[in-house]
Amino acid sequence: MLFKISISGIKARWKDYLVLFSGMIITTAIFYMFEAISTNNKFTTSSPIGQNAKIVFIFGSILLAIITLVYVFYANNFLMSMREHDYGLFMMLGAKSGVISKLIIIETLAIGLISTVVGIIIGIGFTQVLSSFLASLIHMSLTHFSAFYMPAVIATIVLFAILFLIAGFLNARTFTKTSALQLLRSDQQSDWKQPKALTLATQAIAGVALLAGGYYAMYDIQQLKVMAIPIALVTIVLGTYFVFNSFFVMLLQAFQRSSISHSGLNSFTLAQLKFRIRDYTKILSVVSLLFALALGAITVGTGFQRMVPKLASGNGYYSVAITNPNYEMHSLVGQIKDKVTVTYQQKVDPQAKRVYYRRDQLKEQPLKYAAFVSRKTLASKTFTAKPSQFKHSDSPAYQELWGLQKPTIKAYQIKVVGQQAFNRVNAKTNQLLMVRANDMDAAAAPLTKITNLQTKQYGYQNGEQVGGSFTLYQSFKSIFGSLEFMGIFLGIAFLAMLASCLMFKILSGAASDKIRFDMLNKIGTRRSVLNRSIITQILVLFALPGILGILDVAFGLQMFAKGGLLMGGAYQTFGVTTAGFLVLYLIYFIVTVLIYSRIVVPKTKVER
Amino acid sequence: MTTKIVQTEDLHKTYDKDSAKPYEALKGISLSVKEGEFVGIMGASGSGKTTLLNILATLDQPTSGSVEIDGQDVTHLTSNQMADFRSKKLGFIFQDFNLLETLTAQENIALPLSLQNAKAATIQTAVKTAASKLGIDDLLSKYPTQLSGGQKQRVAAARALVSNPSIIFGDEPTGALDSTNARELLDTLTNINQQGVSILLVTHDPFSASFCKRILFIKDGKIGDEINAGDKPRNEFYQEILEKLGTFEQ
Repeated sequence: MLFKISISGIKARWKDYLVLFSGMIITTAIFYMFEAISTNNKFTTSSPIGQNAKIVFIFGSILLAIITLVYVFYANNFLMSMREHDYGLFMMLGAKSGVISKLIIIETLAIGLISTVVGIIIGIGFTQVLSSFLASLIHMSLTHFSAFYMPAVIATIVLFAILFLIAGFLNARTFTKTSALQLLRSDQQSDWKQPKALTLATQAIAGVALLAGGYYAMYDIQQLKVMAIPIALVTIVLGTYFVFNSFFVMLLQAFQRSSISHSGLNSFTLAQLKFRIRDYTKILSVVSLLFALALGAITVGTGFQRMVPKLASGNGYYSVAITNPNYEMHSLVGQIKDKVTVTYQQKVDPQAKRVYYRRDQLKEQPLKYAAFVSRKTLASKTFTAKPSQFKHSDSPAYQELWGLQKPTIKAYQIKVVGQQAFNRVNAKTNQLLMVRANDMDAAAAPLTKITNLQTKQYGYQNGEQVGGSFTLYQSFKSIFGSLEFMGIFLGIAFLAMLASCLMFKILSGAASDKIRFDMLNKIGTRRSVLNRSIITQILVLFALPGILGILDVAFGLQMFAKGGLLMGGAYQTFGVTTAGFLVLYLIYFIVTVLIYSRIVVPKTKVER
Repeated sequence: MTTKIVQTEDLHKTYDKDSAKPYEALKGISLSVKEGEFVGIMGASGSGKTTLLNILATLDQPTSGSVEIDGQDVTHLTSNQMADFRSKKLGFIFQDFNLLETLTAQENIALPLSLQNAKAATIQTAVKTAASKLGIDDLLSKYPTQLSGGQKQRVAAARALVSNPSIIFGDEPTGALDSTNARELLDTLTNINQQGVSILLVTHDPFSASFCKRILFIKDGKIGDEINAGDKPRNEFYQEILEKLGTFEQ
């Protein structure tokens, strides 16, 4: 019987629940995907690239789990507020608090179960499709990877079961402590109080000042160093809260006093917003911060990725070096289109621990080496080495050549000698072929094959021992590619959560707004005017946290740009990612307007 | 001859017409309200009062029959035309006041004029005039939550009056008021009526009805009876209503 009542409770409010489900399902699906990638050994142990990716994804799923915890509590709170009246009625009719507790826990778990199961199924689909996208991002081939991975399924179920169980118990506790009468009247209670002008002004000024302080801290990270982060965190969170609680209220009051408020439904729209914003302070602050986190995650993720070729090419001029290339190697090198190659003769004397090169060769076709000229923009310059530069082992030219030799002779000293001296060395003459691919992204396929062959040939444990900047490129790619992938999907998960929170909050007020819209209809408001008022109200509620969020990111990126983490690339992808993010956000806005209008706008024929 | 403000001809309204069990709420109602009249419509719940009021107020459309208000046929208006018509020609007073608690009394009263995009100065004057008629000049800056039930209803009455409507519809306007406030509001309505505004009151309360000049009794979707106050004192008319209700409801 209890079970039946609970299920019918969910059924009756199916549409409201659907909004919440969508957020929860996307979160579950993304969590599963992260888990599947980070825990699946087939993915992570097959190569060092996978190992790097694994760490990134473990970090990502922990972050996601923390945010999900907050979201589940928040969403459950809303759900329960919708059921307050029903539970009040049950208690009025004599249901004991134990019965109500059971009802609440059953309901919460049912919601959890449905969203987790659906989320995992969608998550498997996500993983199937997106794992190949990830693999291409980090230049890794996936042969034995299966999207369905039992340990990931179990991890997801365990986490969400714990989350929902805690949420259920907490809900039950708050409910049984509230009296039936309070619950029954919950929808009639209005908590709007006219704020005092002085408090309002103080908070508004403090809010703007705190935000400005936080932005400045991030902007001036070079001076403040690590302190910038805690300063910015505290000031921005507090500042955001005060700005919503007061600054925007004052702005609306100013509009109300102006002549705009006399036309059409403006006075109503402004008043609705003024009441709403104070009631929404917490959610709008959370939405604005989540918005910043989400957009930041995507921007930083994609920004890192763009940095890879620059970083790699500044760390070495030649992409790969091959000792005594065979036919296969030559044909692979032939596949690289835009390239520079150079071949030196080399003799190795293991007794003297020396490697000999010919001075005339180094003169005729000099070795080139790269070095960063600006840490900020990651710009690098190419230099041409003179044979005399190889005398000192700490010169950049020496370092470049040393790094390109095969690993077995790296402990030996490099000697540049004349041709006759070279001929006198009693050893086999090796050919050292050095290849520079001017576009490493384009040449990634043959270069990967070359390094794989070399790894096999020399039996390295770690691919990084193969000389040349391409191995560096590969390992940056695996970390930053995973960061980009994770940034995008964490961003989407955050977006889904924040937008559905906001959507939910707006929709949960729709029932009480309906009476107002009915009345406006009765006194003769055109449908189009009602619709315009709805769009304005919801647009403002969506736009304000969005704008603050974008500002947060715009200043937050300063930390990456100046702090040296994301050199040169910090703002590269900001515009594009913001635009893409706004499109998704816009979809949530449109859906909210549609659902809200359907609830509150009276049909032509009002039936009472 | 005085003009007819409201005129209906053989009004029918059937709900769920296409279903197996259609429900006929109105079964051929013809009535008229002349300019300056104060008419009451009485009936038990489920008799069709509210359906009739909704149709007269252009909130609902009849299944068949015609409705003319101030000489205009309102049964064939588009939804925008209906909205404009309501904001210009009709005033409403509801049982539960229907004030917007997010707006001050002044803003609530101004709303119908704002909707017609009247000039700010025009709105100011009209709001002041309506407010002084109802004696609520000092309440204008207050929010509904700061007002008593009687004050709220007077604000609602001012909102109904502000656009100089052809007729004011009252839907149980005293239903949520105590006897003193109810009395006050009814006196106010009588006062407004004496200034020439037509009023149509839907109620099941005999006391409220006794302030009307003419009462139509509606039962099972039809007009069953009609009584006139004529020159009788209000007490006598009240007794007559009670007697009528006694026989009518059997």
